[in-house]
Amino acid sequence: MTDHWGFVVAAYALAVVVLGGYWRRLVRMEHELNALNTARVDATLRSRPPSRGAHPRPEPGTRTPLQP
Amino acid sequence: MTRLLGWLAALALAAGVIMGFAIAPREATQGNVQRIMYLHVPTAWVAYLAFGVVLLASIAYLARRAPAADRLAHASAEVGVVFTGLTIAAGSIWGKPTWGTWWTWDARLTSVAILFVMYLGYLLLRGMIDDGERAARYCAVLGIVAALDVPLVHFSVYWWRTLHQPPSVLKPGAATMPPAILAALLVNVVAFTLLYVYFVAKRVRLLRDETEALA
Repeated sequence: MTDHWGFVVAAYALAVVVLGGYWRRLVRMEHELNALNTARVDATLRSRPPSRGAHPRPEPGTRTPLQP
Repeated sequence: MTRLLGWLAALALAAGVIMGFAIAPREATQGNVQRIMYLHVPTAWVAYLAFGVVLLASIAYLARRAPAADRLAHASAEVGVVFTGLTIAAGSIWGKPTWGTWWTWDARLTSVAILFVMYLGYLLLRGMIDDGERAARYCAVLGIVAALDVPLVHFSVYWWRTLHQPPSVLKPGAATMPPAILAALLVNVVAFTLLYVYFVAKRVRLLRDETEALA
């Protein structure tokens, strides 16, 4: 019987396309979810009121001396 | 862990290709076209496994209402549909040079086509229902009913007169094939099983992350 290598190559090439395509779909979904999570964290940080924590001490002119 | 599984599956698949093309001998009757078996049989085995997992996970979901069981059933059904489609396509490509036809309404082929369509319906049902809990419940029932087709697929070659040959490995008694061909087949079965586990682990994690992102 002839070997029909063309059919063998077609079957394996199809497997590479189907399984590789499914793997790529999973990877793309993973990237999309990561991007979504990053965007949500950024939006949460931006929506917070401006922090006063950067200037914890009052300006020197407004400081009151320590009372005994 | 998932990444390690992926690398293991890739290495095993490479070993499977080497075994199937370089180690296993040319089959005397069919010639080299028989090497499609190292793809067709492992993908069919993985499809059986995937729908078996859907059955068990669906029963677990109905018994305990655990979202993790539902995610496992969903992931396994999706991967099972991919492997069943590949089984049908590879079998059809093998059938043309050996049987002289791409497709015939033989009991084995028809029961596999029904299995494929039922699990496609399962995935469609998931997409159609917005309420997550209701979708999980309906799909669990459908997943159990559809899995009952798996024994029908396997035993169809005994119960009806079919063009498809009976199993050479998954049957009572010793395997009826030369050791080199059997070894190549078993390496490919292990490789495709690892690939299935990798795909399901990745899909389950994505489903969990999706649920958390949408919450």
